[in-house]
Amino acid sequence: MAVSSFNQSHDAVMARYDAVDDVYRETRDMRLLGFVLFLVSDVVLFSAFIFAYLYLRNSVPNWPPITNTGHQLPRFDVAFAAVNSCVLFGSGATMHFAMENWKHLNKPAFNLWMIATIVLGITFLGGQVYEYQHVAITWAGSTMGATFFTLTGMHGFHVFIGIIYLITLYIQANNGVYTGSKYFGLTAGTLYWHFVDVIWVALFYLFYLM
Amino acid sequence: MAATIEKGIAFILALLVGGTTSFQLYKDWASTGLDNQVTKLLLGLMAFGCILVILAAVGVLGGG
Repeated sequence: MAVSSFNQSHDAVMARYDAVDDVYRETRDMRLLGFVLFLVSDVVLFSAFIFAYLYLRNSVPNWPPITNTGHQLPRFDVAFAAVNSCVLFGSGATMHFAMENWKHLNKPAFNLWMIATIVLGITFLGGQVYEYQHVAITWAGSTMGATFFTLTGMHGFHVFIGIIYLITLYIQANNGVYTGSKYFGLTAGTLYWHFVDVIWVALFYLFYLM
Repeated sequence: MAATIEKGIAFILALLVGGTTSFQLYKDWASTGLDNQVTKLLLGLMAFGCILVILAAVGVLGGG
């Protein structure tokens, strides 16, 4: 992939995107639809757990609940979670920049933004580990702890898989797997990473703000 | 004190990320195709997430 000028027009990007053979175009469209459906199925998975959380939350008179021993559980640390959320949202922005730079054939900038995305993703996971170590509840101690660790853990697992996915894409992109017109893997990776960000928006609201 | 500093950092970061995301959304608004439409939806929700962070940082949401 040639490194070219910074500002190529949107039309040039679209022209490259369409400059593929019919078989590839059809395959790409079907893979894209399949990947979007996969993301929708993941939304369903998270929705099931979120509804379970809301059901449990509304089945007790107070939230955070009072344990059987009469101990009032504390609220989660909003300030720390807000910073960590910004780290994850920031990684979504850097991923978007990486994708845009790939479309505009600017490979050095793509590499830079991809590395930034991976670093921010790892930072977010580090923040989550830190929070797990310092939060004043346990998985088995209450419904609050059980739902919190299940949902944020499931999300953290998605982030972890996403980081491996991004590292794979980075290696592939630097080994000639993708070109200026054929880069479906990068598109899928970008969609997955944005999806992980958006799931966190819901979890951040449900656990820290509601 | 630490919480106030963290909220201040979150506020600034959310403004930065939310502004960037909103600008990208505005720039890509005319783009077509399934991947671009999904990207726009997800960027919009991310910008909404930044608004939530700002509201949490200023104490409107999350119990101050």
